[in-house]
Amino acid sequence: MKLNPLLFFFAAAVAAPLPPPAQQLDLDKLPSQSKVIDQVVVPVPSEVFAALDKLGKPRWAGLIHREASKAKPVGEAPQIALMLGSIIAEGFIAVEAEDTDEVKDIGRAILSFSNAIGVRKAVVRRANSIIEFADKKKWLQVRGELDGALNDVREAMVELNSESLAHLVSVGGWLRGTEVVAEVVGTDYSRDGAELLHQPGLLEYFQRTLAGMKPRLRDHALTSKVRKGLADIRPLAGGDDARVSQKSAKEIAVVAGNLVKAISSKP
Amino acid sequence: MKNILLLAVLTIFATSAAHAYVDDAHSRAMEAATPQAKQGFLVRQEYWAGTLVTKQPSVVKHQLFKGNTYWFWLGSDEDSAQVTVHIYDPKGNLADAEAWQKGNKAAVKVVPKVTGTYYISFSIDQSKAKKNRWALAYGYK
Repeated sequence: MKLNPLLFFFAAAVAAPLPPPAQQLDLDKLPSQSKVIDQVVVPVPSEVFAALDKLGKPRWAGLIHREASKAKPVGEAPQIALMLGSIIAEGFIAVEAEDTDEVKDIGRAILSFSNAIGVRKAVVRRANSIIEFADKKKWLQVRGELDGALNDVREAMVELNSESLAHLVSVGGWLRGTEVVAEVVGTDYSRDGAELLHQPGLLEYFQRTLAGMKPRLRDHALTSKVRKGLADIRPLAGGDDARVSQKSAKEIAVVAGNLVKAISSKP
Repeated sequence: MKNILLLAVLTIFATSAAHAYVDDAHSRAMEAATPQAKQGFLVRQEYWAGTLVTKQPSVVKHQLFKGNTYWFWLGSDEDSAQVTVHIYDPKGNLADAEAWQKGNKAAVKVVPKVTGTYYISFSIDQSKAKKNRWALAYGYK
């Protein structure tokens, strides 16, 4: 059998290894050397909960705000968006607690709040799946559906030209998730646990996003409170140093907790 | 009437094509994610996507939590593309625990040593197309 030498050359070219990656990324030269993608994907609460679980399983059942799943939409659109995000985060807590009834109630609450803000259609399938998987105790799938609900709600809001409300959904979810983590870490302190609160990039992103909203939304009473709260949390969550003290963790829990209360209270 | 119908069909086609670009790149990323999804990694629904010229290094910043294991999967809709992805820690040090690339798909695993903002660096190293659609997804466990 005669082999074509060109074929060898082609095969060698295709299989040629790519150069090894640089050992160091020069962060000071980022915009000039690499295009920085200006899109932020906000982690879901279950990401930080998963990390917290590995440090010693918190008693999740005692951390659920059971009134959240019974809440009715109140206030204007910004408040409903913040509440919706917070309720989805509550769903992740209920999943950690493996509380079937609570997760199902949250699935229904997600529908009710989505309806109030005009994006029910986008989330019906997800809400039904949350209820169905919770019944079967398929918790990994429930987590996936809660993430999907969050994503679908936000996408539907963007399609309705309500990108700012989509951001508020993310902020509401982040605040409730942060409150829980800070509460757990503040009570049962460990350095690794407290480090989970070190989220400077996300805090900067939320502050920038809220500050960039149209005055009607930016200066809304509740949004203003949230902006003030984020500004209070930022120095507590560490700067360049990832260390967060127990005192700071407790303070973060108070600030985030007060905001979650304000979000779910009648205006 | 014929013109209106033609316009309607063209509009639907154009809309579908625009979505197909993004979806195809994301589909490649999801193909790359299949082994980890089977291992119980939770693949996030939200992902980064866009268009890149060949050999233009790009970076996304992302918050990671110590204690978790993450995989990032990169895909391009351009069949001839060779893509690569690597990850750097908050101080800019290479943090790849494992990485692979195969044509228009690539992936990198990271086990964060600290909680903070990480830098996912990626590029289209070779491609017949001038501009390439890309999508970057991630999952955690």
